[in-house]
Parts: sequence; C-alpha cells; structure tokens
Amino acid sequence: MRTVTGTGVTPLSGLGRVVWYTDELELGDPPEGIDPNLERERFEDARETAEADLESERERARERVGKEEAEVFGAHIQFLNDPQFAEGVENAISEGLPAEHAVREGFSSPIAQFEGMEGRMAERADDLRDVRDRLLRLLTGATGTELADLPEGTILLAERLTPSDTAKLDPDRVAGFATVLGGRTSHAAIFARSLGLPAVVGVGEVLHDISDGTELAVDGEAGEVIADPDEEIRKRAAATRDVEIRAEPVTTADGRGVEVAANLGTLGELAGARERGADGIGLFRTEFLFLDREAPPDEAEQYETYREALSAFPDGQVVVRTLDIGGDKPIPYLSLPESENPFLGERGIRRSLGDDSELFETQLRALLCAAADEGTLSVMFPLVSTVEELEAALEVVEEVASDLEAEGLSYELPELGVMIETPGAVFMATELASRVDFLSIGTNDLAQYVMAAARDDERVSGLHDPLHPPVLRAISRTVAAAHANDAWVGMCGEMAGDPDLTELLVGLGLDELSMSAVTIPEVKGRIVDIETSEAERTASQALDAATKDDINEIIDQ
Amino acid sequence: MERVVEIVPEAGLHARPAAKFVETANEYDAEITVAPTENGEAGEAVAASSMIAVTSLGVKHGEKVKLTAEGEDAKAALDALGEVLSTPEDGEK
Repeated sequence: MRTVTGTGVTPLSGLGRVVWYTDELELGDPPEGIDPNLERERFEDARETAEADLESERERARERVGKEEAEVFGAHIQFLNDPQFAEGVENAISEGLPAEHAVREGFSSPIAQFEGMEGRMAERADDLRDVRDRLLRLLTGATGTELADLPEGTILLAERLTPSDTAKLDPDRVAGFATVLGGRTSHAAIFARSLGLPAVVGVGEVLHDISDGTELAVDGEAGEVIADPDEEIRKRAAATRDVEIRAEPVTTADGRGVEVAANLGTLGELAGARERGADGIGLFRTEFLFLDREAPPDEAEQYETYREALSAFPDGQVVVRTLDIGGDKPIPYLSLPESENPFLGERGIRRSLGDDSELFETQLRALLCAAADEGTLSVMFPLVSTVEELEAALEVVEEVASDLEAEGLSYELPELGVMIETPGAVFMATELASRVDFLSIGTNDLAQYVMAAARDDERVSGLHDPLHPPVLRAISRTVAAAHANDAWVGMCGEMAGDPDLTELLVGLGLDELSMSAVTIPEVKGRIVDIETSEAERTASQALDAATKDDINEIIDQ
Repeated sequence: MERVVEIVPEAGLHARPAAKFVETANEYDAEITVAPTENGEAGEAVAASSMIAVTSLGVKHGEKVKLTAEGEDAKAALDALGEVLSTPEDGEK
C-alpha cells in the first residue's frame, strides 16, 4: 500500500484501475515546401469545426453540469476567435509553417503570459491549452485516450484535465480521477463536484510513479491517492461506488423513520451530498465563512450562503451550527487568546457570548432572515456545558428577532438546538432539552471530553473511541432526556457514519444521523434492513457491557 | 466616445463575464478598447475584441474600466457593454 496526497475536491471515495490519460500531440519537425494558402484553409476548417464542437459541448454541459459551468465553453469560443491568436497563426503560416505548427506558435505566447500570472489568472492558461489541443487534434487526427469510452471502474490519472476533458467523463464508468497539477478552484475540480466524482488534484510529480492498471483508491475527502489499498480502504471506497443511492428518506424494515443527513464544511460539498442521497444537512459548519480572510463576512454574504444550502434541500432540513472557533484556528481579525489547551479554553458558545458577541448577532440575523424563505432551517449552539449558556444564547436570539421585527424585515424563528459535546451537557440534557427543539450529539468532542483523551494525540487514540462504555451511556442518557422532553435527537460525528454501528445507533433511539456524504448510501442501505426490536436488544446489551471489547463483540454478532 | 464603468459581476472581467463582454464587443462595427483604471487614471488600453487581451487585464469585481469606441454604432456599443459590466451574473445579488 502506498499513499500520496494532494487536494481533495469532493467528499467522495472511489476505487478502480488506473488508466493514464495521454493526448499524443507531439508534433514532429515541420515539413518543407508547404503551400500557405492550403494551410490557411486547413486552419479555417479546423477552427470552424472546433467552434461547432464547442457549441454542442456547451449545450451538453448545460444539461449535465449546470448552466453557469457550461459557460466555460463560451469563453473557449472567444479564445478560439481571438484576433491576437489569429494574427500569431497567420504570421506563422506566412513564414511557411503548416497549420498545426502555426497553431502551437500562435498559442505559445498567450499561454506563457497567463502562466506567469497569479492564482485564477494562471488557470486561464489551462483554457488556452484546451483550445489549442482541440485544434491540434482536429489538424493531426490524433485522438489520445477516448475519455467518453473508458472501461468501467477506471481511475483516470492525468497531468491535468481541461474542462472539456472533465465534461466528457461518464460517472457510471469513471470511479474517480487524480491529477498532477490543479487546485481547488480549477475547472476540473468544479466539474468533479458537479458530477459527484471522487477527485484529488495537485498531487505533484509523484503521481507519475503509479502505473497503468494499478488498483487505486481516490479519497476526495482526505485528499489521498492510495495504490494497492488494504482491505479497510477498499471497503470504504467500494461502499461509495457499489451501493444503491436512495434519494428518498428511508425507514427501518418495520417502518421507523431515521433521517440521514450530511455534514457540510463548505458549499462546494452540497452537490456531493445531494448526489449521495442526503435527506438534508445535519451539521453545517460555518467556520469556512470566517477563515482565510481579512474581515468577517457581513450579514448579506452569510444570508446568501445559508440560502444556497437551503435551496439545495427544499424538502429537507438544514441544521446550521453557529460559529465554533477557538484558539486552534488563527483568524486575523479576531483576538484569539493563545491557550495552553485550546480544547478546554474559550471556544464555541463561550466566545459567541463573550468576545465574539457581535459576530454572533450578525450570524443570527442572517440565519433568522434565511429561515423566512423556502426550506427548513435549524440552528444549534456548539460546546454548551451549562443551562445558563443556553439561556443566554436564546436571549440573544430573542433580541435579534425583536430588532428584525422593529426594522420591519421578514424573518422566522428557526428550530433551535444544543450540541451535546461535554459531560456537563450530558448531565444537564433534561434541562437543556426542555428549553429547545432538538439535541445533536457531536461524538468526536464528546468522546474526547468524556474520556479525557485529546482527539489529535495518537498516544491516547485507543481511549478516544465512542465505543467505550462511558461514551455509549452518555449517548443513551442524552437520547432519553430528549425524548422525555419532546425534542428530537441527532448525531453528527464520525460515529454516525460508520455503517457497522448503524443498527446500534438506531437501537439507541437516534432520530437523525449526520455524516460525511460519502457514507450515506451504505448507512441508508443498512437502515432499511433493520428491525427496531432487534436493534433495541443490541443496544441494551451494549449498554450493559463493562468494556469496549464486550461492546465490539455484541456489535459483531 | 468614452465611458467609465464599474465591474459588478463577482468574477470580475474574467471567465464568463469576459466571454460575454468580448462576444458583445464583436457584435458592433465600432473600434472598441478597454483600459483598467487606478485612482481615476486609465492604464494601457487593449482591444475589446480579444479575449486573451481582455482577460489578461485581470480586472476584478468593484474595479473600474475605461471603455472607448470609435465608429458609427459607438454609442450603442458602449451602452451594451456598460450593461454587460454592470449586470450581476445569474445567482448573484
């Protein structure tokens, strides 16, 4: 097994056999004695054909990928007809070069010009290469790898993929792709997300060490490309490919509904979540809105972001977690104190009620306004450990609502909830649940705080496991408290997405499971086979167990 | 004839908006140029008919450009191009 890393661009994994993409466009030395008039004609013909092809690809991309993304082909048509490029070609032909060499000449300086620029401008060089290679293929008859006709279960590897390349990929045949070059905002990345293809870009030259025919897993969430993967990775990757996608909400075999939702860290993951059959968003982390920038996002920008998530799930629920920032993530415009132990310091609701109260109010304003439109928005507060914190947060919601009322703006009070992540919240779950509409158990933090074992410390990773009896009992206590107070209870965190634990979690009484989109199909597949009474029996045995090993044994049965 | 216009689309004069701009410019007979501006000073002008040239200006959302047009349909061209540059893309506010 060998792992190389790049930038993951979709929260999906794929497994398959490597096909290296080659477009053999090496031109030999130009022949002597060419007729420039003939070459001009050849070039014009190629240009007309290329334009017609681009028009039809634009049409196709509109249907398959989206109207906005398809316009990249509109840009290509403009590049194709550019007078600057036409002049370069004409000069080269007049000097006696054949049309294909003239095309290469005509593009070389504009490509170099864009390559020398920064960021998104450099990506225009990819567009120009795409247009150039299209012309060269028409002029030379070279075909390269037939992208529309790859064998089923292909993992495509390439130096780079242009938008036209990516738009040709058939998600039923291609299990994923990885490229040497490219970034998160490259066209290939955007198309991969729209098509729901597992993809890792920008892996670097080491990708060339992987040869044709190798069995390869592409993990678009972790940004990993794994050659000759072991059993566990194969299982995980295959899960996303072979499992039936259930777009509708599911119930257990005996008819109990369990909502299966996606965790979301950026808007780019929305398409993948829908693609995998998420019923809604169970954890919308809002930190991405605040990171990597000089000033916080204003109300309008946040409103638009929440609207976009809601409009992706008009029939589902979108649960937004208010800003959960602490000393572990530096943000230039916030005065985050250096903390010896950020996980036990000022973070989550503690900052929202303290130094970040203005940000908190702005975020709530945007959320309350977004709640008034289509879809169902819910809001939850992170890292609550006392009833006082919750009451203070609810008071801010009331104040924001009355401000909006006074300003005559349209708003709606969303469903409100508390994340259960600390032992304090578990012990007070009854009192918390009686004040809100729902509880959501964050198992990563809950395991960390209940077991007093840091999430990122490998030496205690054995303790940081939600299958230790104290964590399981904390979950059970939370579920009971919620249901006794007519609140629903969900779980977000790694545990919710482990298909081997689905039966246990259903047996524990969870109403909603929220996970990385990639595991949704398999978890839904497990739910439909579950008999609630059997699941409850498993859960009650697990709750009686004294050790993690005993619990594992009960689950494996 | 000239006009200074602010770039409204989020992407700037780039990608899709640039393509639309060049496409529109090519619909008119007038000779049209576009130049970036900084603090009211116009920089070097390029042909609005060239996607390569227009894109390489790297003009961002919120910045202003100076458009010039010479020819019979110059005014109509400037009106149409001004409209392209001050209209947000679909999905933007």
